[in-house]
Amino acid sequence: MGKVMVIDVAKCNGCYNCQIVCKDEHVGNDWTPIAKPQPDTGQFWTKVEEIIRGSVPKVKMAYMHSICQHCDDAPCIKACSAKAIYKRDDGMVIIDPTKCQGHRNCIDACPYPNVIYFNWDLNIAQKCSGCAHLLDRGWKDTRCSEACPTGAYTFGEEEDLKELIAKAEVLRPELKTNPRVFYLNIPKRFVAGAVYDPEADECLAEVTITLTDSKSGKKLTAKTDIYGDFWFEGLGVGSYSVGIEKSGYLSQKKEGISTEKDINIGDIPLYKKV
Amino acid sequence: MVETKSQEKKTMGEKTFTKALGFIGAQAMDSNPINVDVKDGKIVRLRPLHYDWKYQPEQFNPWKVEGRGGSTFEPKMQAVLGPLTLAYKKRVYSPNRILYPLKRVDFDPKGNRNLQNRGKSGYVRISWDEALDIITSEIKRIIKKYGPYAILEQGDGHGETKTVHAAHGCQRKLLRLLGGYTEQTRNPDSWEGWYWGAKHVWGMEPVGQGKQTNIIPDVAQNCEMILYWGCDSETTSWGWAGQTASRLMYWFSELGIKSIFICPDLNYSAAVHADKWIPILPNTDAALQFAIAYVWITEEIYDKKYIETHTIGFEKIRDYVLGKEDGIPKTPKWAEPLTGVPARIIKALARDWASKPTSICHGNGGGMIRGGYSTEPARMEIVLLGMQGLGKPGISQLKLIEWCLFGDFTYMGLPKSLVVPDLLLAGRPEEPEAAHHGFTFWDLPKQILPKDLIADAILNPPLEWYGTTLLAEPRENQFKKYTYPVPGCSKIHMIWTDSPCWITCWNGGNRLIEALQGPEIEFFLAQQPWLENDCLFADLVLPVSTKFEEKDIAADGVGGQFNTLIYEQKCIEPLGESKSDWEIVCMVAERLGLLKEYTGGKSEDDCIKFGFEHSNVAPFISFEEWKEKGYYVIPTDPDWAKEKPGYRDFYEDPEKHPLKTPTGKLEFYSETLAKHFPDDQERPPYPKWIPYGESHQESLLCERSKKYPLLVVSNHPRWGVHANHQDVTWFREIKTCKIRGADGYQYNTVWIHPTDAAERGIKDGDIVKVFNERGGVLCGAMVTERIMPGVISTDHGSKYDPIVPGELDRGGAINTIVPHKLTSKNSAGMATCGFLAEVERVNLDELRSKYPEAFSRPFHPFAGTGVESFLYGGKE
Repeated sequence: MGKVMVIDVAKCNGCYNCQIVCKDEHVGNDWTPIAKPQPDTGQFWTKVEEIIRGSVPKVKMAYMHSICQHCDDAPCIKACSAKAIYKRDDGMVIIDPTKCQGHRNCIDACPYPNVIYFNWDLNIAQKCSGCAHLLDRGWKDTRCSEACPTGAYTFGEEEDLKELIAKAEVLRPELKTNPRVFYLNIPKRFVAGAVYDPEADECLAEVTITLTDSKSGKKLTAKTDIYGDFWFEGLGVGSYSVGIEKSGYLSQKKEGISTEKDINIGDIPLYKKV
Repeated sequence: MVETKSQEKKTMGEKTFTKALGFIGAQAMDSNPINVDVKDGKIVRLRPLHYDWKYQPEQFNPWKVEGRGGSTFEPKMQAVLGPLTLAYKKRVYSPNRILYPLKRVDFDPKGNRNLQNRGKSGYVRISWDEALDIITSEIKRIIKKYGPYAILEQGDGHGETKTVHAAHGCQRKLLRLLGGYTEQTRNPDSWEGWYWGAKHVWGMEPVGQGKQTNIIPDVAQNCEMILYWGCDSETTSWGWAGQTASRLMYWFSELGIKSIFICPDLNYSAAVHADKWIPILPNTDAALQFAIAYVWITEEIYDKKYIETHTIGFEKIRDYVLGKEDGIPKTPKWAEPLTGVPARIIKALARDWASKPTSICHGNGGGMIRGGYSTEPARMEIVLLGMQGLGKPGISQLKLIEWCLFGDFTYMGLPKSLVVPDLLLAGRPEEPEAAHHGFTFWDLPKQILPKDLIADAILNPPLEWYGTTLLAEPRENQFKKYTYPVPGCSKIHMIWTDSPCWITCWNGGNRLIEALQGPEIEFFLAQQPWLENDCLFADLVLPVSTKFEEKDIAADGVGGQFNTLIYEQKCIEPLGESKSDWEIVCMVAERLGLLKEYTGGKSEDDCIKFGFEHSNVAPFISFEEWKEKGYYVIPTDPDWAKEKPGYRDFYEDPEKHPLKTPTGKLEFYSETLAKHFPDDQERPPYPKWIPYGESHQESLLCERSKKYPLLVVSNHPRWGVHANHQDVTWFREIKTCKIRGADGYQYNTVWIHPTDAAERGIKDGDIVKVFNERGGVLCGAMVTERIMPGVISTDHGSKYDPIVPGELDRGGAINTIVPHKLTSKNSAGMATCGFLAEVERVNLDELRSKYPEAFSRPFHPFAGTGVESFLYGGKE
């Protein structure tokens, strides 16, 4: 029962519509008792986080989103000493701007970065209200979900979105906050590279690349494409080794590849067996 | 208006209006329809228009496009907008809005004009009376002294698109009533290489890009690979048509179409859509193209039959590529050092391309066709498409922008509507009266000046060039010589401009500044909503209202989803003493006793009604019902799929469906170019690799590159349309838009690779100077892997903030230091991308002590410079 937001990182093109229309709604507009105006700059009730992955020419972007998770077991509600934060029947968590005393316990209690902000002029804490004032008018969408062109932001009833939710993950599940925001396709790590024959000055296709997780020993294989390129996506943070083999060529191995960050291990030359 | 359809019950005292908010700015070609909610005289929010707000979907016959495997693509039931439209409230209420007429403090039309101080003088407030006095007396004086052609009408483009209150060119008709004027003809900035080059190969009118009819279904069904070449459809599309392009690119990937991006920067489309990024040095695309042709020719993997039946002049290309002409075979190894693309990748790309139906995509905003000699890569691209059989299923040139450009269905790649909403229809020479009061492409006066030649016209007349440069001209116009001044016409001594975009958007900005600071232009009159850029050089600046403060009619015809006609009511009262561009010209006309002649006796409402009646929409809905609903959605043509896609007709039967070239074929070798320009080394009869020459020395092969070793790629901006949107605080908080220096100023962002940055001691966030011998601009450095080594990237359009006008700019207006010379000797386009520069860290404290006046200029900490920054004596 209640509203949820599903954020599909794979569908986000980085347009910032969500971040912008949230300001359009809440800067200079007073929605008391749901929310007072946020300052023109500095607060991001939904915030785009740019993730740049890899190195030239194997570079991709992903866009993550920080937003109030509207937790069913919200730490901010428990921490608030003014009892100003409450959860509505539709699941949205609201900081009542008429009751907030500016103690800022919620900001310390919230485990999610870039969610609750403090407005020093009004002396109140502020965050995403789920556009509750618009929902109460009968809106089906929040401002951000309405403006999203690609379906990266889907807002709706929990029952209607349960198939999506089943495939999704929540942030910091170990904290048992029971968020109402679900994420699909949060990028993990990639290992990418290219193989070529320097003597023939050609890209090498159909090279077998074996990626071994140094810790677990688990192996993944792929074949290079017509450009000699290979990409292993969806990896965890760890250490890997890469084996490079093509019949007729001397094999190669690269060890100690760290996926602390996404990594392009570069252009690997293979030499023909004599 | 109370919501009738959805469950949005309570409106809480808000009134809802409809507007279109696209930023082409001219020709009444609008898009991006919105709802504007207003309460207590203030804009509350801007939202996408929901097409089904006042209509049932069946009434407008929503379309569906089929791709391979049964996958379909449909429009959304709401406009798919970008942030440039949705954040626009910030432009309406910007601290940079001009609220009353301004005069340069040391400009005295009866005494000393101090023209040399343009760009340095502060501004003072004057009354409308005084402003109109100055304007009318100056017009009379100049016409008396020099004749009417001494006045240059600089009707520009971009910014808000309006019809009755047209933002560009309202002064034209008045000046015609005064006996004539010189017209600025705006060179085809979005299409330079295609216009001056590709048109000679395939004759595509008017701008030289490929036929788009029903191309999207063809791509979705038959194409296996798309080369996004110097193209950023995620970005450029925002101002013109929202984000339908983005949705399509995701769909193409879902369909399994491989996406390869060929560009110097990992642009915003490449960032999320690329299966492969091939970085290439700016303006070296022609070398890559020739090397690909070399692989195809030597490995015989091109369509020989098609070449015989559909093209002329292939032997010339073949001989040139194989080195038979100049002794230099255009091998991948030859191209490698020129382009920065490894030879092995070139070979793989050539073979990949030849092995599958491949299309090339453009979004107009990248630099590929806007560098020196851009005619060459633009037309060599058509040669390559021809070598693989242009018009075969899945083989085309594709663009995801300017859907239905100029109301022409040849440019509509998606299902077309029954009619195009057209507010220019009336207004053509046969029927001159129109609702649209701005400039048109016909009715040119005796004397014209292309925008990219205005600085030269002022500094170094007489001039001669070829072509009016207007994007509506047919190919043959490029062989017609024009001169300035025209015998019997004066040189220009006055400029009347409206929302101009020159210094930060066009060629050779610093050279234009030099021209404006000279004695030739005795009076420079500007009208604009915001005090920015070229206005800083005007003698008089008049405050213009935004479209939210005016009533008008809008033709939403280039958006791609549905075409609509919008009744644009006035949402809020005009800010300060601002008036619309049309109202301003009416005031001048009235002073000159010409109001009735200028308006034809028509009121604003009369014009809107006239526009509606001639828009093609009148048969579908009554005027009253249209006004009451606020908009009309034109139904999709049920027969849209009947017409063959793109060049299919030509491919299947070139004799029956010839191209608009003299032979009807793809002219790899152009007889007409050979005939008219037999000795032109810079645009020969067939494409060649021209890295430098008489007109440009912007190549790493040139001596200059020792001093200026980096190439600059400058794209259409992400966070604005040309010079617009610079004061939107919500964009300026974003790193790819602005970077805040230690001095609190938000600098325009420049992308630099870690290796280039390390060499120069530049760290992420440092303030740097980008410079060459034409001047320098300050920028904030973003050290990133999104740019290839040897190249820096900074968007054009940044707001000019002179430290030394004509020399050094704090605002990062890169176009002040781009080349000022034309595309090439006989191609009168501009070259503003792919040029040499160097970058160095600056010491802001040193700059502050060296230029105390500029660095103590007040600025808004989040919106940048504003009116207050340029008022004489500081804040009023």
